[in-house]
Amino acid sequence: MVLKCEDIWREVSNYIDGDVDPQLKVAMEQHIAGCQKCRAVLAGSRNVVQIYGDDRAFRLPADFYPQLHRKLEDRVQGPGRRAGSAWILAVAAAILLAASVWVVKVHERPALEAHHTLSPEMAEKLKTLVVVTGDSKYFHLAGCPYIHGQTRTMFADEALREGLKPCDKCLKDLAEQLTSGGPNPDQDVASKDPAMDIDVD
Amino acid sequence: MNLKLAPEADLPVSAPSREAEYALIQRIVHGEKELFYQLVRPYERRVYVMAFAILRNEADAQDAAQDALFKAFKHLAQFRSEARFSTWLIQVTLNEARMRLRKNHLEIMRPIDEVEQEDGSYTPRDFTDWREIPSEALERKQVREMLVKALASLTEKYREVFVLRDVQHMSTEEAAEVLGISAGAVKTRLLRARLMLRDFLAPGLDGAWATQSNSPKGIKPWS
Repeated sequence: MVLKCEDIWREVSNYIDGDVDPQLKVAMEQHIAGCQKCRAVLAGSRNVVQIYGDDRAFRLPADFYPQLHRKLEDRVQGPGRRAGSAWILAVAAAILLAASVWVVKVHERPALEAHHTLSPEMAEKLKTLVVVTGDSKYFHLAGCPYIHGQTRTMFADEALREGLKPCDKCLKDLAEQLTSGGPNPDQDVASKDPAMDIDVD
Repeated sequence: MNLKLAPEADLPVSAPSREAEYALIQRIVHGEKELFYQLVRPYERRVYVMAFAILRNEADAQDAAQDALFKAFKHLAQFRSEARFSTWLIQVTLNEARMRLRKNHLEIMRPIDEVEQEDGSYTPRDFTDWREIPSEALERKQVREMLVKALASLTEKYREVFVLRDVQHMSTEEAAEVLGISAGAVKTRLLRARLMLRDFLAPGLDGAWATQSNSPKGIKPWS
């Protein structure tokens, strides 16, 4: 197979990508070996591929990552982020309040069980059973549509102590429970029976 | 949420396996929003470079990258596991960059000497012997600026194919999928893009750039 320069130029890109059949490859190499122009075209084209493929060809602006992450955080988390903060504050406040009550009461009446010393209402709120899926960092109320896969149950205060956070949908329901005294009637708050009927995918 | 930003954030972060990535996507879709950062972290640089290659302007590229990532988050539930997440994300970015390009009418200034042929024939105009790429040349700002200028000299259809294949390192098939064209068209456009870039760069990148020599060998595009 005898090739002309035009044939080489037409196939040079495929040749660089190793995308020519063996017979054509041999013929191209024979031509290129004896043709200075085609050697220059091949070498230069290879250089184009190499130089643009190098990560250093395009530098990122100095503030790219901080700005990107700040913007994404604002936009991805959005209102949920604020709700989350409010909820965590509410729960933290409730736990602190409960702990204070417990300390005072234990000192006054050491024989009593801890949650006998809490107001019945507060103890009830912190003892809401929640569901954790797999190794997720989030917990859910029973009935939350985001419960899926392997699950385990624990009380909300335990989940918080483990560093878990409520999922966005459950935030509002739990916040309502903690601040308005009583479960959201639309939310199927779990009983304390660990074998409760959880809607699991 | 507290994003951890190391000063060396520009270092590449390896992507997880396809299965792990899909599992991560499912968790995000089901409410674990903060995992989105983990998902896109390996691709942030690629997203920016894609946007920059199309828009040729740092500020626009930065905005486009942010918007593209947010759109990817919003539409993550639409992602189908048949495709690679990175391919889908780059497609979202390309669409965002194209939209901005149209909006800014940047394509009105089309490069000259553009012959609209799809048959793959292209006659090189310059035969300067450009053999070696000194790797340290990329540390020079003027060289990087010339690479951007050369890329900008291509029309959109060649630039897009070239960036997907040779900058984003996508396969021919992935590039074809992103652009909605045939694999054959990708190859044809890539050939022309590579040859046009060589024509643009070779006269100035014939070796003189390694030494910052003032030797008049070839025409320096930056002179």
